[in-house]
Amino acid sequence: MTRHQAPKGIILEIIRMSTEDGPGIRTTVFFKGCSLSCGWCHNPESISSKPQIQWMKTGCIGCGICVETCPEKALAKTPEGITINRLLCTGCGLCTEECPTTAMELLGKKWNVQDLAYELAKDRVYFEQSGGGVTLSGGEAALQHDFCLALLKELRGRGIQTALDTCGQVSQTVLAGLLPYVDILLYDLKEIDPDKHKIFMGAGNDKILANAVFAAHFKKTHPYPKTLWIRTPVIPGTTDTVENIRGIADFIHTNLEGAVDRWELCAFNNLCRDKYQRLGMDWSFAGKDLPERSRMEELTRIAESRVSSSIVCWSGSTKLEKGGDQKSPRQTQDKSNPAHGC
Amino acid sequence: MLNSLKSEHVIKEPSGLSDRIQWLRDYYFRGTERAWNNEYTSWTTQTPWDIIYNELTFYIVPETYPLLNTLGASYLQAARPVELHPDFWNWSLPERRAWFVREVIVNYVPQEILPGDLVAGARFNVQTSLCFTKDESKAWQKLVKGKKGARAQMKWFHDHGYGNAGATSGHLIPGHERLLTIGWKGVHAELMSIYNALSNQERNGSKGDQLRAVITASTMARDLASKYKILCENLAQKEPDAQRKAELRTMAANLSHVPWEPATTFWEAVQTLWINHMLVMTDENYPGAGVSFGRADQYLYPYYEKSIRDGMPREWAKEILKCFWIHANTAYDAMIRNGNQGITAGFGQLVTLSGLGAKGRDMTNDLTYIILEVIDEMSPILEPKPNVRLHQNSPEALLDKIVDMIESSQGAPFLLNFDERSMAGMMLEARIADLSHLIHKDNVHEYAPVGCLENTMVGNDRSGTVDNNLNLLKAVELTLTGGKDLLPFCDPMTGKTEPIKQDGPLTPGASSFKTWEDFWKAYAVQTKYIIKKCVDLYETSDSIRARFFPTPYLSCLVTGCAREGKDITQGGAQISLTTLEAVTYATTVDSLLAVKYLVFDRKACTMEELIAALKANWQGHEVLQALAKNRAPKYGRDDDEADSLAHLVMQLWCDETWRHKTKVTGRQFRPGMLSWNYWAGDGYVMAASADGRAKGQFLSNAICPSNGADIKGPTANTNSVGIVLGGKAADGQGDWLDYLNILPNGASHTITFNPSILRDPIHKDKFKAFLKGYTLNGGTALQINMLDPDMLKDAQAHPQDYRHLLVRITGYNAYFTTVGRELQNEVIERISHNKF
Repeated sequence: MTRHQAPKGIILEIIRMSTEDGPGIRTTVFFKGCSLSCGWCHNPESISSKPQIQWMKTGCIGCGICVETCPEKALAKTPEGITINRLLCTGCGLCTEECPTTAMELLGKKWNVQDLAYELAKDRVYFEQSGGGVTLSGGEAALQHDFCLALLKELRGRGIQTALDTCGQVSQTVLAGLLPYVDILLYDLKEIDPDKHKIFMGAGNDKILANAVFAAHFKKTHPYPKTLWIRTPVIPGTTDTVENIRGIADFIHTNLEGAVDRWELCAFNNLCRDKYQRLGMDWSFAGKDLPERSRMEELTRIAESRVSSSIVCWSGSTKLEKGGDQKSPRQTQDKSNPAHGC
Repeated sequence: MLNSLKSEHVIKEPSGLSDRIQWLRDYYFRGTERAWNNEYTSWTTQTPWDIIYNELTFYIVPETYPLLNTLGASYLQAARPVELHPDFWNWSLPERRAWFVREVIVNYVPQEILPGDLVAGARFNVQTSLCFTKDESKAWQKLVKGKKGARAQMKWFHDHGYGNAGATSGHLIPGHERLLTIGWKGVHAELMSIYNALSNQERNGSKGDQLRAVITASTMARDLASKYKILCENLAQKEPDAQRKAELRTMAANLSHVPWEPATTFWEAVQTLWINHMLVMTDENYPGAGVSFGRADQYLYPYYEKSIRDGMPREWAKEILKCFWIHANTAYDAMIRNGNQGITAGFGQLVTLSGLGAKGRDMTNDLTYIILEVIDEMSPILEPKPNVRLHQNSPEALLDKIVDMIESSQGAPFLLNFDERSMAGMMLEARIADLSHLIHKDNVHEYAPVGCLENTMVGNDRSGTVDNNLNLLKAVELTLTGGKDLLPFCDPMTGKTEPIKQDGPLTPGASSFKTWEDFWKAYAVQTKYIIKKCVDLYETSDSIRARFFPTPYLSCLVTGCAREGKDITQGGAQISLTTLEAVTYATTVDSLLAVKYLVFDRKACTMEELIAALKANWQGHEVLQALAKNRAPKYGRDDDEADSLAHLVMQLWCDETWRHKTKVTGRQFRPGMLSWNYWAGDGYVMAASADGRAKGQFLSNAICPSNGADIKGPTANTNSVGIVLGGKAADGQGDWLDYLNILPNGASHTITFNPSILRDPIHKDKFKAFLKGYTLNGGTALQINMLDPDMLKDAQAHPQDYRHLLVRITGYNAYFTTVGRELQNEVIERISHNKF
């Protein structure tokens, strides 16, 4: 491939010293664009593959330069701040270049592979000391498959451990192309019931389940990926049912047993509430509480009873309980079981 | 919900203390309510011209400037008379001073033992007469308080935003190991033999004066110990409790032996260390100012090992050390009635733990862990402050203990020093300052930090590590104006405004800079000027100290002074340097980056417009200020372009610093980066800066990125620090392994973490890996803070100062200031209760 044909990626954010996206210290690259549209998504700005702008009240000095700059007249200054007419905005980003404060921000910037890999390699020593590396997350990184593959190859060439965090809603050919360059596959299984999956995630789960089986088989028969983690978000009123956990457990037991190194139940998080507001999106989960600790423990017990229990753990924040001597997770975690510390 | 936060906020409690230690600790924290304390007592020769207060040592503490006259007068007023030796006025000044200090501490200041205490040596804070003759007093007055005297020069320097400088006490590591090994008896004998070998002419000269003074001083510890021995015997006689009686008898036996004779047991060694240490503070009339212990876990180890072999229980070693810890904290009693129980940030009796030995060996031993346990069990407690030396082969067990202590104390109750980077700096110093016979590859591992993190050698080194504190930012201001203050100085006392003068070199005016390179050239000229200005200011107080303020006792403890026949204040130490600590580094770099970005690259304004904005403190120039703050590149983000300019700034001022030596004492200047609290206070003195900072906002701290600028997180922050210090040698041939370090003194670096990073064993491992990464990529020293609810509440109130504050709650990252109030409150609540 000649240089001018080299693919460019649309990247939302690069988070360094991430301790939550796989083993060790990691740099996580959030790709823009997703093949699902989960109602509770923590990163709503990652769903659309197009660049978007957002305005943040904090930091805005009300100079109005963005309003003057916008060629589409999509911005207006109101007593509440800057409003964005999303129908007019083309995401050209001119306003974000002129904004003196960065209150107006372009979500989704173009990177070429070399520059991005150079940036990601800056924390190499921390990766090496911790058994960490780079995680490609999103959105769905595999949607930008050419760029994703080129980046994975480049990182492998530089000797950097890679993780791919995927929702599984991708073509099997693409997945097969990526897996040889992935050290750790972080694979989401959110909902076992195909109808519910369609309602909550915007698509059925046939492809996701089939790809999970494919990836597990791939892992067993190829040098890479070396590690497979399944992640299940526990979302109040949607995926947090006993039936769902049982269903996923049985799926893992029947189809993936032996290939899965960890199955993590991730508690719903509501910190992203304000992001929806900034993007002009309604969020049906805005009023939802975090799951209760006892619920997470109960679901974990159910999961443990149906698959090899050493692979199961849960993570995340739970609802704050008033008045009681609520123990933090670390005080109750069994330290003898390393998988419990995720 | 939030109202109750503060009281519920989890605070570390002491644990595992014996009744004895619990009582002593509780008693200490009763502060001014205590019947006993270690408050200054002052002592006079009773001459009408007597002077007690040596104000030079406070020139680096701007908060004391308005108090200098009051303090001087009040010590005189409260002073008690000392009956002088009949020959007193026939002696030289160092002899008078040596005798007077010994007389006061041995025969005037009362000796006491607190209930249950296992270490003798209670009161040591004194203000003693400077022992001047009438002529000396007159000369001192003129040199210090005259119209162009040291005080006036120092005030001008500070008022105009340059910083501060002064010949300050402490900040060194005495030769404790030598004293343990040969005792004061050995020191005394050596001094006598040097004196006896002097020619008659030398004996009648200053060398003879100095040696007679140190010989007198070398008996001070012996004479004090014998007083305490009698006290212990008397107390033992009256003591009804058999166990306590036995303890007091052993203490008396110890004191009949040490510190005059070499120590033989662990208890004796600790007793020796305490008396020898506390008398440095007596001698200098200044408590705890960076009077550091060095590698106590190394030099106390042979005594510990022997005592353990002889049957001493491990817990007993801790009990003795805990008493020692209480004693060190009584240093703060000096000004106990000035509020906050006298506790200030200005002390630092630093103790060094672990670190490399010869041939790359790790020197962690059981005493390292014992001392960490003592700190852990007594915390929160302030003194002595520990600094743990880490390196590429630090044992996992040590890292585990460190991480556990950081977790339970909500932040590190110690500093961390990083050996490879630090030793590279010391090797550079050896080369540039021509000290390779004293610092070389076979002994550089014996270095230790003083005060907080200022690296020096041990027992033969005074490097004036806090003596010169220069605001590099002043050079940017002078470049913009062609050598003048940007704003006229208005005296807050008189309300008078001084006209602006051409203080610095006349560099080209703002409009004539056609390119960034033109600006940089002028900046280099102004940087040279401010360094020279600082060097000249230091000369005034350093030369006065050399002439008028001998510290003969301290001089006994530092190799070089006796052979040279010079006091340590006259440059007697074998390694006699002074350190220029650069303050405002990141603000300076960011301001230069902003000038380049705003005027030359983005062309957002002309140089004149930028100057107008700075003069107006950005009022009416908010768009430009926002560009400077948010769009101009910043140091601390692992951004190659910003960090390469940062490295140039570093190289420039370091090269210039090495060009200077003090005239009278011949001390070589060396570079370092520490900024104590100046970065906060001088923010009100210095004009607005081009990085978008308004006058009155904080400057940057030491080598840390500007407040809120490190938006790329701790690893990027760390990489930037390592890079500007020199990083790694491309050819692998660094000054130590492949490491380079342009700052031999070292650089203070603080990073704040979210406590959730330590929430479980797996995350603790990640944090440990970060520390190992810091060893490879980072600076010389690190202080770890943990986010606390107060900081988060401040972030709610001042979001612009906390843009970098990343909240990490499993699987989700968000900048704290971008989430809504309600969620912010929830994050605060979680952090308050360690519920992540």
